[in-house]
Amino acid sequence: MLSLLIALPLLGTLIVALLPEKHGRLTGRAIAFTVAILSFVWSVLLGFKFDAELTSLQFVENLPWIAQLGLSYRLGLDGLSLPLVVLNGLLTWIAVYSTDPDIQRPRLYYSLILLLNAGVVGAFLSHNLLLFFLFYELELIPLYFLIGIWGGARRGYAATKFLIYTAFSGVLILAGFLGVVWLSGADSFEYNPALAASLPLSSQFLLLGTLLVGFGIKIPLVPFHTWLPDAHVEASTPVSVLLAGVLLKLGTYGLLRFNQGLFPEAWAIAAPYLATWAVVSVLYGAFTAIAQKDMKKMVAYSSIGHMGFILLAAAAATPLSNLGAMFQMVSHGLISALLFLLVGVVYKKTGTRDITVLRGLLNPERGLPLIGSLMIAGVMASAGIPGMMGFISEFLVFRGSFPVFPVQTLLSMVGTGLTAVYLLLLVNRTFFGRLPDQFSNLPRVEWRDRIPGIILTVLIILWGLQPSWLVHWSETTLTAMLTGPGAIATTPLVTPSTTSPKTSLKVL
Amino acid sequence: MDQFLFDTCWWIPCYGLLGAILTLPWSTGLVRQTGPRPAAYFNLFMTVVAFLHGLFVFRATLGHESQEFIIHWLKAADLDLSLALEVSPVSMGAAELVTGLSLLAQFFALGYMEKDWALARFFALMGFFEAAMSGLALSDSLFLTYALLEMLTLSTYLLVGFWYAQPLVVTAARDAFLTKRVGDVLLLMGVVALASMAGSLNFNDLYEWAETAELNPVVSALLGLALIAGPIGKCAQFPLHLWLDEAMEGPNPASILRNSVVVACGAYVLLKLQPILVLSPVASTALVVLGTMTAIGASLVAIAQIDIKRALAHSTSAYLGLVFIAIGTQWTNFAFYILFAHAIAKALLFMSTGAVIVTTSTQDITEMGGLWSRMPATTTAYLVGSAGLISLLPLGGFWAMREGVNIYWVDAPWLVVVIFLVNALTALNLTRVFRLVFLGQPQPKTRRAPEVPWMMAIPLVSLSVITLLVPVMLQGLSFLPSWDYFNWQTALPLVLSGAAGCLVGSTIYLNRTWARPIQAPLKFIQDLLAYDFYVQRLYEVTVVWLVSTVSRVSAWFDRYVLDGFVNLVGFVSIFSGESLKYSISGQSQFYLLTILIGVSIFGALLTFVLH
Repeated sequence: MLSLLIALPLLGTLIVALLPEKHGRLTGRAIAFTVAILSFVWSVLLGFKFDAELTSLQFVENLPWIAQLGLSYRLGLDGLSLPLVVLNGLLTWIAVYSTDPDIQRPRLYYSLILLLNAGVVGAFLSHNLLLFFLFYELELIPLYFLIGIWGGARRGYAATKFLIYTAFSGVLILAGFLGVVWLSGADSFEYNPALAASLPLSSQFLLLGTLLVGFGIKIPLVPFHTWLPDAHVEASTPVSVLLAGVLLKLGTYGLLRFNQGLFPEAWAIAAPYLATWAVVSVLYGAFTAIAQKDMKKMVAYSSIGHMGFILLAAAAATPLSNLGAMFQMVSHGLISALLFLLVGVVYKKTGTRDITVLRGLLNPERGLPLIGSLMIAGVMASAGIPGMMGFISEFLVFRGSFPVFPVQTLLSMVGTGLTAVYLLLLVNRTFFGRLPDQFSNLPRVEWRDRIPGIILTVLIILWGLQPSWLVHWSETTLTAMLTGPGAIATTPLVTPSTTSPKTSLKVL
Repeated sequence: MDQFLFDTCWWIPCYGLLGAILTLPWSTGLVRQTGPRPAAYFNLFMTVVAFLHGLFVFRATLGHESQEFIIHWLKAADLDLSLALEVSPVSMGAAELVTGLSLLAQFFALGYMEKDWALARFFALMGFFEAAMSGLALSDSLFLTYALLEMLTLSTYLLVGFWYAQPLVVTAARDAFLTKRVGDVLLLMGVVALASMAGSLNFNDLYEWAETAELNPVVSALLGLALIAGPIGKCAQFPLHLWLDEAMEGPNPASILRNSVVVACGAYVLLKLQPILVLSPVASTALVVLGTMTAIGASLVAIAQIDIKRALAHSTSAYLGLVFIAIGTQWTNFAFYILFAHAIAKALLFMSTGAVIVTTSTQDITEMGGLWSRMPATTTAYLVGSAGLISLLPLGGFWAMREGVNIYWVDAPWLVVVIFLVNALTALNLTRVFRLVFLGQPQPKTRRAPEVPWMMAIPLVSLSVITLLVPVMLQGLSFLPSWDYFNWQTALPLVLSGAAGCLVGSTIYLNRTWARPIQAPLKFIQDLLAYDFYVQRLYEVTVVWLVSTVSRVSAWFDRYVLDGFVNLVGFVSIFSGESLKYSISGQSQFYLLTILIGVSIFGALLTFVLH
């Protein structure tokens, strides 16, 4: 069942790649579109069949592959991977949909997008360390080409930078995995939370550090982030959507699954430093975003800030904060995808992303009013206005982390305030004001440009009003991760007072 | 039927929201054939429904215990977020005030916004605005209250930015959002902390917790300050007050609500929080100090304004300052009276200025004059509104302030002085504006000034009547003292302060050509007040400067230091590779020598390490 999620896009890749050249533009697009829809629908169906009450892996598939190496094809779905798999399906579909139909070299493009989808899904589903690594590296290749071929003016530089950074992160992750298995003397690379439990603390720290830097590059955490703004600025809109929406989540997924999950003891000791690191990331991302002139760069830096919240929540490692981390991954995936899509539309219509040049785009007759309205919605969601997804995810993160790291949490909250500053400046400068003459003949915005944005906005509001639909999927898994063998014991500094009988019942 | 209406009282905020959502086809331009009017009528209808529903529930609650509705919203791990609603005479009364004023303002907007192309969008925003406010009135959970406050921030941003093509509107909307957001983020910090400490966010649980909680003084002080920060922003109190002044660039019907009930929402939240604020004496002191500063400062600043809306907006801050004092000293009755009387009178004043603006097409009072004979209903409304605001005649303002003077007469005489000052200065300001706008010789812009059309006149006149009836309403709710307990000794100075203000206001020399005083000190004072004590400048050189400098430094650091380092590493590796390629000479002796040297260095290192 899970293999279908990987096999479908792979099959699609093959078919699209082998199409005769003259069919590439229309048939290739249609096939990619169908495959993306099918795998998205399949992932949603899996979500319905998924039993949220179970703590164990579901739909497990286990095939021995290279037993001598300890590599087996072991897939499984749990509450941590399910939302991300669905998110990946949705955003791949949106990326295919929002691709320019007249794109150059369509067969290669669509097959790479599908290959990327397969790689990411595989990584989220793998429960074998080596298999995860293989998929993690697999996703890197198509993305390199997607940035390097269809990117902007400096695409070669950005793609190479991305490749070197991510390959380096892959090497570190591989080293970490090898170290865990060799030092613990396990006979296979099968993922098991108790794998590293028997190791001495010093080697745990060493391995944790290696993996942390490896995933930290992908997330990205300051100071390993400089590939991200370049990659975003040069990548085309659909690729930016995938990059921000899904690819970064591989890093945070790894953070929860392979760092917090494998080294609970070392994690608990390192947690205060990690939380401080998160604060640095949040504030650095936010402040740097304020000074940007390029809309895409601004959104890219805001991603860095918002991914910092996930590190904070992961460091706190309470059931609630982990849930917040999960929620933040999905909400950031949707919101940043929305923002990149809209920036992409603005760029396509006006030919610039410079906020010092753009002005008055909300103009009802000659501007982009609906795109502007969606932009305001996206910006407000990102700034954490209630009623939308960004708020509840941030609230869960803060509420979950505050009892453990009060100071760091409060400082991170300054980051949400700053988010409002730069995103509001963006909207105010580009959409408010009088439309200058140079933009008075903008091309028409078609429904094709609007539909993806509208869908994402509706989802953001829907999950903002009904978060329990998403929370319900992940809660059991994430709580079990913290209470399982070798669970983390972070000590809360603030505990709910048990003086009043009414509240104490709730706490117990 | 009765029970049904009572049980569905949570619908009251939803009507406005429903109106806003269902008018989306018009406001997004999907439906163009009908024009925007159907959307406006639909929203108006929804507000009527909300008002009537609320009226019924209000009558049903009178004389009953308050009831609580709890809707479980999100349960995750140890967090149980529920949306609690309180149905009590107070909360329903507040909701009625909101929907009632919203109804009048929307009716007024039919006339005021008649020629605006985005009428549907305006009404959708008003519906959203009303929904957030009436929800706030009913909310009994700090979580819901916080969420609704943020919705108010958002809708204020959208309403102030309604005419987004104008440059002043752009900055006004930005400042309104960011200033309120500062307060909101601080409030969020308080909410998160409180949620972690108390375990629940429903006000009843919080009150229970507050009774027994023992907090470290520093923690309780910080908590209290964080909790009052949100209301400070909402109520436009120093130091987060400038947005209200700038927000006057927005459409007038929204200003009617903003100056009457929106600011009151902030104070209402504060009233709800008051039993928790008792934990923190610092916060109470801060409320009194900030309230006093704003009350006197804003009253003074108002006198120097020449924009008719701004002159009144500053006095809103001043009255809310009195509310802050009342809450800081734990006299909630006084706070409620002021909020009620001020909301109605100020809404009327703003309606009458709206009528003036729509007729004269200007907001500059130096360009007006002689309107009294041309616009009698508007003039009457202005006079009634002024009388309802200050204490000269026995209308709402008098009874509210009398309560305060009675309370503080013995314990805190200096607060009595503050009330007198606010009263006198407001009276002075209102008289000044009245003389400039309605009396004197007609100016070019006021020469052809017909009375406003019926769509604006009806709400104007109805609200005038309501303002006159405020004492009757207070009497009906038995809030007024009986004659036996009426204290002439405190009432007389209060009336005298109002009379003094009017007297000074009607005798000072007013020059419509905006002459600058010759004496340097007077000139300085005029500038100081006209520019809000240069607070904006203060922001610029402190907070704004700090944020922009830090952001520029971090962007520079990112671009040149971090990324520079990364690029340097890349460059060095490419460069060394490139230069090493020149060592490929093709002579095998040279390769042998390289290998030999390499191996010997390696061996030397190895022995060095082993020893």
